Amino acid sequence: MNTSFLRISIWVYLAIFFAYLLGPLVIMSITAFNSSGFPRMSPWECLTFQWFSELFQDQRILNGIKNSLIIGAGTVVLSVAMGLAGALMLTQIWPKLRATYYTIIIAPILIPGVVLGISTLVFWDRINRMLGLGADSFLSNGVFLTVIGQSTFIASYCMLVLVARLQRYDIALTEAALDLGATHAQAFRKILLPFMRPAIASAAVLAFLASFENYNTTTFTFGEYPTLTIELAQKVRYGITPAISALAFIIVALTVFFALLNEAKLKRQELVAAARKKATVEELAGKIKLPSFFAGNMAAVLLVVFAVATITVVGTATAYNPAQCIANVKEQKQLEAEQRIQELRKQREERRKQREAEEAEQGDAQQSAPKPSNNSGFGNVFAPNTLGGEEDEGAADTEEQPSGSNNSGFGGVFDPNSLQNDQ
Amino acid sequence: MPGFLKEFFNRNGTGMGLAILGLVLFWTIGLIILPQLSMLDFSFRPNLPPPEIGGPKDVYTLENYKYLIYGPEGGSQSYNAVDLRVFFRTLIAAVCVTIFNLIICYPIAYYLGQSKGSHIRIFAIMLIIPYWINEILRAFALRIIFGETGVLNTLFMGLGIFDTPFDFIRNDIALYAGLGYAYILLMIFPMYNVIESLDGNQIEAARDLGAPWWRIHWRVVIPYAKPGISSGCTMVFMLSAGALAAPQILGGPSSLWFTQLIYQQFNDNNDWPQGAAYAIVLLVTCILFVLAMMRLFKVNMGDIGK
Amino acid sequence: MSAGVGVDLENLWIRFGDFVAVRDANVNINGGDFFSFLGPSGCGKTTILRAVSGFLEPSEGNVLIGGNNMRGIGPNKRPTALIFQNLALFPLMKVWENITFSMEIKGASAAERRKRADELLDMIALPGQGDKLPSELSGGQRQRVAIARALCAEPDVLLLDEPLSALDLKLRQHMRTELREIQQRVGITFIYITHDQGEALTMSDNIAVMRAGVIDQIADGKTIYNDPNTAFAASFVGENNVFRGKVKQVMGNEALIATNRSGDLVARISTANQGKMKEGDDAMMFIRPEAFAIASDGAAGDHFVTARVNHEEFEGNVFNIFTEGEGGKEIKVSIPNLGQSFEDHTGQNITLEYETRNAVVVPAGELAAE
Repeated sequence: MNTSFLRISIWVYLAIFFAYLLGPLVIMSITAFNSSGFPRMSPWECLTFQWFSELFQDQRILNGIKNSLIIGAGTVVLSVAMGLAGALMLTQIWPKLRATYYTIIIAPILIPGVVLGISTLVFWDRINRMLGLGADSFLSNGVFLTVIGQSTFIASYCMLVLVARLQRYDIALTEAALDLGATHAQAFRKILLPFMRPAIASAAVLAFLASFENYNTTTFTFGEYPTLTIELAQKVRYGITPAISALAFIIVALTVFFALLNEAKLKRQELVAAARKKATVEELAGKIKLPSFFAGNMAAVLLVVFAVATITVVGTATAYNPAQCIANVKEQKQLEAEQRIQELRKQREERRKQREAEEAEQGDAQQSAPKPSNNSGFGNVFAPNTLGGEEDEGAADTEEQPSGSNNSGFGGVFDPNSLQNDQ
Repeated sequence: MPGFLKEFFNRNGTGMGLAILGLVLFWTIGLIILPQLSMLDFSFRPNLPPPEIGGPKDVYTLENYKYLIYGPEGGSQSYNAVDLRVFFRTLIAAVCVTIFNLIICYPIAYYLGQSKGSHIRIFAIMLIIPYWINEILRAFALRIIFGETGVLNTLFMGLGIFDTPFDFIRNDIALYAGLGYAYILLMIFPMYNVIESLDGNQIEAARDLGAPWWRIHWRVVIPYAKPGISSGCTMVFMLSAGALAAPQILGGPSSLWFTQLIYQQFNDNNDWPQGAAYAIVLLVTCILFVLAMMRLFKVNMGDIGK
Repeated sequence: MSAGVGVDLENLWIRFGDFVAVRDANVNINGGDFFSFLGPSGCGKTTILRAVSGFLEPSEGNVLIGGNNMRGIGPNKRPTALIFQNLALFPLMKVWENITFSMEIKGASAAERRKRADELLDMIALPGQGDKLPSELSGGQRQRVAIARALCAEPDVLLLDEPLSALDLKLRQHMRTELREIQQRVGITFIYITHDQGEALTMSDNIAVMRAGVIDQIADGKTIYNDPNTAFAASFVGENNVFRGKVKQVMGNEALIATNRSGDLVARISTANQGKMKEGDDAMMFIRPEAFAIASDGAAGDHFVTARVNHEEFEGNVFNIFTEGEGGKEIKVSIPNLGQSFEDHTGQNITLEYETRNAVVVPAGELAAE
């Protein structure tokens, strides 16, 4: 009784936890397909792919991606190189220096990103000035500064990944290569590097991802080369659109895809290794065939499902035309708006009647004055052609700000105060 | 030392040895130590236009640090209440976020660390995936949820709990949720690594001796997981206190994060020395916090960053 | 192959900080010899090997290969090839790539390398296994690949660092013969490091016995076994029974030893110590288990030992009798099994006899740890 209660509460807790973790991403992804101009899930309007095409037409986003790729490549090269050198040094440094050395190379992980960005900016600005170079020199270039700033701490991550594998390296292998006549560089290239390759690949992926999503350091160093993250931050801070959701959806999908791919690969290696233990070497070649790629490999199955889903979605996107739905929604909104206007008009009529009745009591002196101005205001609004044009804007624009400059005609209508002021 | 260097070059060869040594020196001295020292030096200098730098006015001063405490000279208040409040609020909020994360992550880390089976790998992937998504996008996702017409408000209003939309952003709830959300993985992983290596028999033994579940955790699991806990807490505190994106996107208009002050000094006020001084204050605070954590939990540097 | 290149160690000292790993070693190894360094772990034999292969620079003294001083010459420039204790086969390379690594770095074409690999694979009796990974081979096969890889570099001197220690007993004994055969076929100098006296004795032309950084004796196997210089050499190489005591009387090349427990016994002074031992010196006398014979009851004299039998065991080719000895150690006596009948002596006193030439006396010194 007690244990089953515990078990259930564990699962409930897990469910809540993962809902907190993954829910926001799912919701954000869904908003990318809603035709509402503000990223939201409800009310659901229409399934649309327009935000994707909008995204791909956004020059700033595309430029940001380009800069991110350039900076990412630079950071990967520099931080993997420094991380490897740092790891090699760690395994052979004088024991008395080791603790200090380790503290120094691990510290960048703990230093706040903004501090790294600022110190990089300040330091290289100073070097630049000391060398008497101008403001447009290489040393004050945004790409250079960002690569340097990011590598400062990303190299620490790489070092940690690499040193884990390096600890399993048998130094006798290098010695054997030297003994057989290889130079140190040859031994490094032909023996150590191939051994480190898996760790180097992991470190490179890690470095690229860290560089790609870095904001805190980059925001001080990017200069004239804003990365995708910087562009996104600008957009998110000064007005959000579902185009960002569309980008997020793409990133989420890619991440899930690669995570599954990696998992499937690992699982496959495990299966092969397990099979290897059972089967002799000769049998192996025949035994491991493609179908067994899936056998007992959950991730591989998910991967296939995922691929099918992607193809379906892309297929739908090319064939699907949401125009009808959008038109329907527009019509719906139009009707709603008209209804509201009708209601307002009714209210207004009633008030006027009431007022007229009051005024009738007070006398007829001021009676005719307010009427014409009121009529002209309404006249514009109700003219069918004006209405259509304005509704178009209303559907696309956010409903947060219904009283935008375009809607000045409406503004007056919706605001009961102004009605009263009119009189 | 020369003996060490000689051995180093013997082992790696002259060319490779120089390459390794060069890269390590460039990284440790050129990228880590000198920039920090340079920033420290910079923070003690007045804000001068470029031509006057190095001139007679370029002297060391405590002005930038005084500014944080006393505010502008001749200001109406005797203390820089605004900036100091932001500073302490940031620290307290970062501590709260850390504790919040610790509480929600401990059960997960314990569960993942102590249960066997292939579903653990799927959980691990589900944990890692959000961490691979851009920081900005994660904040953006939460903004969609916590927005005035966001999912939560729609839900609560639909259920009739609220009559009018609740402003999660102005009340900083979105910010704290966002900071907690951003660094969950960094809290779970160090704890998970340690708890995974805890021999399940110890827990069995404790249970066998009749210990209630909370006592098992208090006396067996938590003491064992201490290095992981302190490592996770350190990382989360550092990253929360140093966060910039989440406060910018999820923070209310009136509440600032200390990093935002630094950002303003650099980008809006164009007062680099002042910004550097603030950055130094943040850095020193963080270092003190790490040292305090290490002292408190009696762990060493080697345990951090696993 | 070359006629054989000699290796000389001249006044070789190797220090690690305050620790002296090798103390004043002087060794001349003839070209084409199979030479072993024999000693317990930590005695400095691997250090000597690393100095010869070039991974260690001697603190003092010189390593000469073929008469050329090797100081300042790196391991990749020396005419030596080393077979590592763990073999150090490159795990990511196929067998044939492993074997011909030394050709690859000289820029040989793949076809050339394959051809040479096939020759060497034939030589080590692993034809057609070139495309496997080292991890797919058995221990003995890996061993042979390591030898082929080293030979492929055409070294003048092959250095082997306990290469058989990871193999099981049967394979180890087989590989001894195989190694010796290969050495005789290629005719180059082999320097072999081992702590296994059986390996050293069966394979080597000459052996250096090492203890704590010092070389105690350099000689061929028979001499080391029969005529040890020191107590350590006597106790480390082969099984030996030790009798402690003092020199009572020196008679030419023989001495009468007043042993602590077994009375006065006569023994031959080992060649290196002849003329150096005098009356009153602390001495140690060694008699091998197989040098004893059971004498008739009650015989007494200076080459009879009487002791109480603790237990006995039958080992197949020999019958072992363990009697009470000095300092809690037993005296072991091995009687060859020639089909005679053995009576049980347990609990009885027996008298053992030996021939003087089989009892060796050396100055008292450190014994090898069991």
